[in-house]
Amino acid sequence: MPNMIEIKNLEKSFGDNQVLKNITEVVKKGQVICVIGPSGSGKSTFLRCLNVLEKPSAGQIIFEGQELTNISEVELNKLRERMGMVFQSFNLFPNMDVINNVKLAPLKVKKDVEEEASQKAGQLLEQVGLADKAEQFPLSLSGGQQQRVAIARALAMDPEVMLFDEPTSALDPEMVGEVLKVMKDLAESGMTMIVVTHEMGFAKEVADQIWFMDEGYIQEKGAPDEFFANPKTSRAKEFLSKIL
Amino acid sequence: MKSKKIWITLVILIMMLLVPLGKVNAASDGYLQKIKDKGTLVVGTSADYPPYEFTVKQSGKTTYVGLDIEIAKKFAKDLGVKLEIKNMNFDSLLVALETHKVDAVISGMNPTPERQKSVDFSNVYYRGKQYMLINKKDAALYKNIHSFKNKTIGAQAGSLQYDLVKKQMKNNQVKGLAKLNDLVIALESGKVNAVAMEEATAKAFAQNNTSLKVINPEFNVDSSQTGSAMAFPKGATSLVQAANKTIAQIKKKNLINKQYIPLAGKYMTNNSKKNSMWNYWTYFAKGIEYTLIITVVSVFFGFILGVLLALLRLSKSKLGKAIATAYIEFVRGTPLMVQVMFVYFGIGAVIQSLPALLAGIIAVSLNSAAYVAEVIRSGIESIPAGQTEAARSLGMSQTLTYRYVIIPQALKNIWPALGNEFITLIKESSIVSIIGVGDLMYQMQLVQSATYKGVIPIFITMVIYFVMTFGLSKVLGYFEGRMKHA
Ligand SMILES: Nc1ncnc2c1ncn2[C@@H]1O[C@H](COP(=O)(O)OP(=O)(O)OP(=O)(O)O)[C@@H](O)[C@H]1O
Ligand SMILES: [Mg+2]
Repeated sequence: MPNMIEIKNLEKSFGDNQVLKNITEVVKKGQVICVIGPSGSGKSTFLRCLNVLEKPSAGQIIFEGQELTNISEVELNKLRERMGMVFQSFNLFPNMDVINNVKLAPLKVKKDVEEEASQKAGQLLEQVGLADKAEQFPLSLSGGQQQRVAIARALAMDPEVMLFDEPTSALDPEMVGEVLKVMKDLAESGMTMIVVTHEMGFAKEVADQIWFMDEGYIQEKGAPDEFFANPKTSRAKEFLSKIL
Repeated sequence: MKSKKIWITLVILIMMLLVPLGKVNAASDGYLQKIKDKGTLVVGTSADYPPYEFTVKQSGKTTYVGLDIEIAKKFAKDLGVKLEIKNMNFDSLLVALETHKVDAVISGMNPTPERQKSVDFSNVYYRGKQYMLINKKDAALYKNIHSFKNKTIGAQAGSLQYDLVKKQMKNNQVKGLAKLNDLVIALESGKVNAVAMEEATAKAFAQNNTSLKVINPEFNVDSSQTGSAMAFPKGATSLVQAANKTIAQIKKKNLINKQYIPLAGKYMTNNSKKNSMWNYWTYFAKGIEYTLIITVVSVFFGFILGVLLALLRLSKSKLGKAIATAYIEFVRGTPLMVQVMFVYFGIGAVIQSLPALLAGIIAVSLNSAAYVAEVIRSGIESIPAGQTEAARSLGMSQTLTYRYVIIPQALKNIWPALGNEFITLIKESSIVSIIGVGDLMYQMQLVQSATYKGVIPIFITMVIYFVMTFGLSKVLGYFEGRMKHA
């Protein structure tokens, strides 16, 4: 499989606080990576560095052969079209209805024609099981429904990779399943995914690789069966004993 | 380096504002010639001082009358030019002269040594005694300056009477107000026990208000300090000489006592005969018109400038941010009244023909822009960062993000606050009356001095302001409601 994203000596500091301390990893096309680790270990920061919502302090991000840390805003906008992102707090646009949330970027960024964009948005809403909610406003939906719209919105740009930052952490327990189901379907369709999550069941079942992150490093990585049955580092052992 | 250049530019600009341009003119003293060239003599006065200067309504129009006005008319006629009267606060008259807003001041003004430092005076044209106005019911209590122990005496701020009270009545409180009408209201309502004023004026008030009485409190007055004279810019010798010629003629024919004062008296009794408020509705109408014009125009320009300032403040440019922040903080940290005066007298010193109305609108717009900018900024900043991140993660540029995501949401917060700013401006714009813009506040003062009624015009004005602000807030509320359901 070809490389999708190469991360080379990535570092990120906020003032004196060095959050990412030297990360070198590779994500291959079609892989599903689950990033786990304690709170504050830098998982979100890591994910946000990948699409340069956060500008890395040092190191390189190479996305399909293109270096991202030293390119112009305009080029960066182009690259972000190809990397979808889903946030813990959904971040739907409350000033427009569901279908327009999904259509906005294809219309304004890709300059798709209205008909085509509407049709595609309809299909995506169907795919996440929300075809009947197209005309509703985000705030009238449940958390699980909102997050599924957010996934459809990201998919509308035809991304080559999807970044998920704790997509189910803000949800009531009974809604977690519907979102994970959509993500699982997506993984099975061959999408390259990097998922920060606390859902160990999902990680075990869907991930190709687990990256365990702590104190700004990827401390350990491996196939899920291996990692969960038999963690090697003491930090991973301690972390797993707390959450399982 | 860039910022250094800007500092230098700023310093030069400020210096330009401060250089007294009058000096340049004074050296050659082309004052008289200049007036003849432009064909009008602009005279500043504070028209609330009967019988010297006050207003009457003649066939629906406000006219300035009084003995000073007659003198000014004669002076203009002798010069062969037209006369234009500019009415403003007594306090502002000398500044207006120094900044060349007016060519001369005639306003029952005493040529005190202090004033002589900053302006030149003609010969004295009239000398009255210094009197006090008291309530008739107190007539038995007050005979002279010594019978006022520990009482409060009112006097027009910046006037000779104010100084006299201060220096010769050391056991008394002095209350200084800008308008004689306000002082008389204070007297009637017991806020002050007496008001010191010039003889002819005091008599005029007593004549028109039966509850008041005049006494001669026997101030110790140095005759060089009393009497009224015309004021001119420092160094305008040609004008002073011309004025003295006119004054000599007036004195020779005794015009003041024989014609001017009797004429003023006639106007005053006419005025007090028809002092029902209905006769003055055109004043209030005009005031409403001006207040609305000032407010609407200022809201418009304040909004445009405010948007620019807000964008500058939110921009990535450090310099732009610093300029916008400095401007906003400075404007919010200084009173609107000072800003209005600065624009009129300060900027007006550079652009000589800046009319008061325009100066008022500029000042109020500049002021409003700072507040609007803050409303817009806080509206934009109230949108959670997640909205921007979501939009950017979809590949939307900063501009697209603002246009389709941030601004539409921010507007929901901004509209009501802008509406409030509109309502605030209706009220705050009343400040422009100090530079003589004919807004509602100013018209109220005219009605007060024309009718000798203090409180009723205030009450009517208050009701009009309330109707305007309340009406506007209802209208805005209606649109806000419709926007929510849209
Ligand atoms: N914009 C920022 N400015 C300053 N410090 C930040 C910023 N974003 C994150 N940090 C700091 O970086 C560290 C790592 O934060 P991060 O959000 O990446 O952790 P996390 O692993 O995602 O935690 P969680 O599981 O709670 O989401 C924290 O100490 C946080 O305070
Ligand atoms: Mg996080």
